[in-house]
Amino acid sequence: MSLLARNFSKILVQATQTAGVRSLHSSLPSLNETGISERPDTRITCTLIPGDGVGPELVYSVQEVFKAASIPVDFESYFFSEVNPTLSAPLDDVAKSISKNRVCLKGILATPDYSHTGELQTLNMKLRNSLDLYANVVHVKSLPGVKRRHEDIDCVIIREQTEGEYSALEHESVKGVVECLKIVTAKKSQRIAKFAFDYATKNNRKKVTAVHKANIMKLGDGLFLRSCEEMAKLYPKIEFERMIVDNCTMQMVSKPQQFDVMVTPNLYGNIVDNLASGLVGGAGVVAGASYSANCVVFEPGARHTYSEAVGKNVANPTAMLLCSAKLLRHVNLPQYGDMIRNAIEQVLKDGKIRTKDIGGQNSTQEFTYAVINNLKMPSRV
Amino acid sequence: MASRVLLKKPFDLGKLVLRNQSTMSAFEIQHKTPLIKKVEAIPVAMYGGRHHVTMLPGGGIGPELMGYVKEVFKYAGAPVDFEVVDIGDENSDLDYALTSIKRNGVAIKGNIETKSESASVVSRNVAIRNELDLYVNILHCKSYPGVPARQKDIDIVIIRQNTEGEYAMLEHESVDGVVESMKVVTESNSDRVARFAFEYAKKNGRKRVTTIHKANIMKLSDGLFLETSRRVAKDYPEIEHNDMIIDNCCMQLVSKPHQFDVMIMTNLYGSIVSNVVCGLIGGAGLLSGKNYGDHYAIFEPGTRNTGTAIAGKNIANPIAMLSASVDMLNHLGHVQHAELIQRAIEKTICEDKIHTPDLGGSARSTDVVQRIIDHILQADIRPW
Repeated sequence: MSLLARNFSKILVQATQTAGVRSLHSSLPSLNETGISERPDTRITCTLIPGDGVGPELVYSVQEVFKAASIPVDFESYFFSEVNPTLSAPLDDVAKSISKNRVCLKGILATPDYSHTGELQTLNMKLRNSLDLYANVVHVKSLPGVKRRHEDIDCVIIREQTEGEYSALEHESVKGVVECLKIVTAKKSQRIAKFAFDYATKNNRKKVTAVHKANIMKLGDGLFLRSCEEMAKLYPKIEFERMIVDNCTMQMVSKPQQFDVMVTPNLYGNIVDNLASGLVGGAGVVAGASYSANCVVFEPGARHTYSEAVGKNVANPTAMLLCSAKLLRHVNLPQYGDMIRNAIEQVLKDGKIRTKDIGGQNSTQEFTYAVINNLKMPSRV
Repeated sequence: MASRVLLKKPFDLGKLVLRNQSTMSAFEIQHKTPLIKKVEAIPVAMYGGRHHVTMLPGGGIGPELMGYVKEVFKYAGAPVDFEVVDIGDENSDLDYALTSIKRNGVAIKGNIETKSESASVVSRNVAIRNELDLYVNILHCKSYPGVPARQKDIDIVIIRQNTEGEYAMLEHESVDGVVESMKVVTESNSDRVARFAFEYAKKNGRKRVTTIHKANIMKLSDGLFLETSRRVAKDYPEIEHNDMIIDNCCMQLVSKPHQFDVMIMTNLYGSIVSNVVCGLIGGAGLLSGKNYGDHYAIFEPGTRNTGTAIAGKNIANPIAMLSASVDMLNHLGHVQHAELIQRAIEKTICEDKIHTPDLGGSARSTDVVQRIIDHILQADIRPW
């Protein structure tokens, strides 16, 4: 504890030293010389949904790190849960808060296997639909110090998540015969394809792979694939490739380095997300985000609540911390985002402090403190 | 010849298009057929509240001004990501720039130099406007108090037809020594511009629209333009409409500019009048222009000069490009950021009087930008 306290003060000193250093060109007079004082950091509000399972513990870890680095973000916390409906905040309140703040950090919501009320939509789906969070982005990247079968994986999986198999349209027309509708629309397919290509353009990626099963579902997946092909014509500098989902999963486990950006319909995306996450270290280390036109919800990439570990202080907070780093980058605080990301990478590289899922014995709390100890204030704010 | 064929069978072309239409998706119709353009816009590049915007730095001082825009946006926290496409030199890829604008929907652009007088070289500025069908150009000329200028308190909106007229680029030498240059005026385009102008006037609480023309000489072409705007004016009884001949207009502008409110005109007149007004209120470095089509918008400095002579000397006035960026933020709906930057610009110019040499000051470009950033940092709002 005393170690921690010492580091808090170190960070504070660093912060005060660097706050004044900022100018457009080094030759120009700095702020102090022009006699204009810098305003205090104005704060950003962010909606927070801790989620089920270990969610609250991971979120606590994020809050600890934010506090230690004095990051100007305020959280507006909502308890939101499907398995605990009496305590859960109403969907409307949560949706309203997210659309007001435009950013949200979210843990994973548990979804029961069987519906007891006849409701086909899960709470997750309802939230996505009400905010139109159509694009799920999972950035799967090998982390230093996490030994796995494959090295140097760096791919981004972009998944349409408002239609397809998740349309929640199922019925039993005749006793014993259930039909489940998979909806594919041109509009949403084009939208997700454009999102993928724009993402690739923005992040200097070279290739977009459309994952489909159009050889079997000729109309549904065919429409998705065609939309991607059409959109690809608008991006002559980005290579476009198509791959059938079964082949894709095989390639993923044998040669994952070949993938760059992947764009997928709903269910395939879910499967590929989890497969790829498994390749780099599991649900505890992969960050993701869901985008609508107006807001973003940052959540771990592979959606597992890890409910068997609740209260045991063993869950890996890396995924959640990486999410928060992405969040900071999104709200124009990239220096803080980089700071957190670098600290995490440093801790993992040192390899002294590891949680159980990546072969260590340390607790969530110990890992969090290790990250805090490795926070380095950026030299220029 | 072609026109005669069309006249004989006026519906054949339409049929051809219709036949193709049945086998094409809306996407292809929008991007492949020249005749029925843009039935459906492709989705706007806005994700999680952040916009992707194409940035075309252009030539001359363009690249350095764009650097200032990025810097100011960083400190203002504007949620915009730029995709920089270089179109400065002759052999750069104009098609790619156009595709990029098509997918992002919005662009901020420096000026591209049109040096060549050879007939084979098409001005790339004009090519961009025509290809994207940016049929209207708006220049809001508003005096900055505190800037030395010939006329004070000017507030004129110049709305210019941007795609046809004298810029139709149809010239030929039918007989040796006789060159004909065509000025094309179409009713549909004149109607669009007039409607745009009146809508603009209505939305922004303007009182009067003046049509500038030379219909006493060009009785058919300018006549059509004038007639169309008169007809459109009838749909807007609350807005006063009058017209003025271009030569008289130029004289009135330099002697009594306050009589003008919103002005609409054809292409070449627009080019001349906007430069006259810019000169009246402080030169090329202050004003920004907006180009709108049905689906795309491009923002650029108001007078289209590249300023090659002063490139790299750190004396170019950054205000024009910065106000273009403010216009862009307004267009994208980031009103808070736009206001933040606009106020910082006004404070810098009007109160601190930090002026570059073109306004009679001695400050460098970076001094101006630095002061604007200081003002932004001082403001107590921070909309991310």
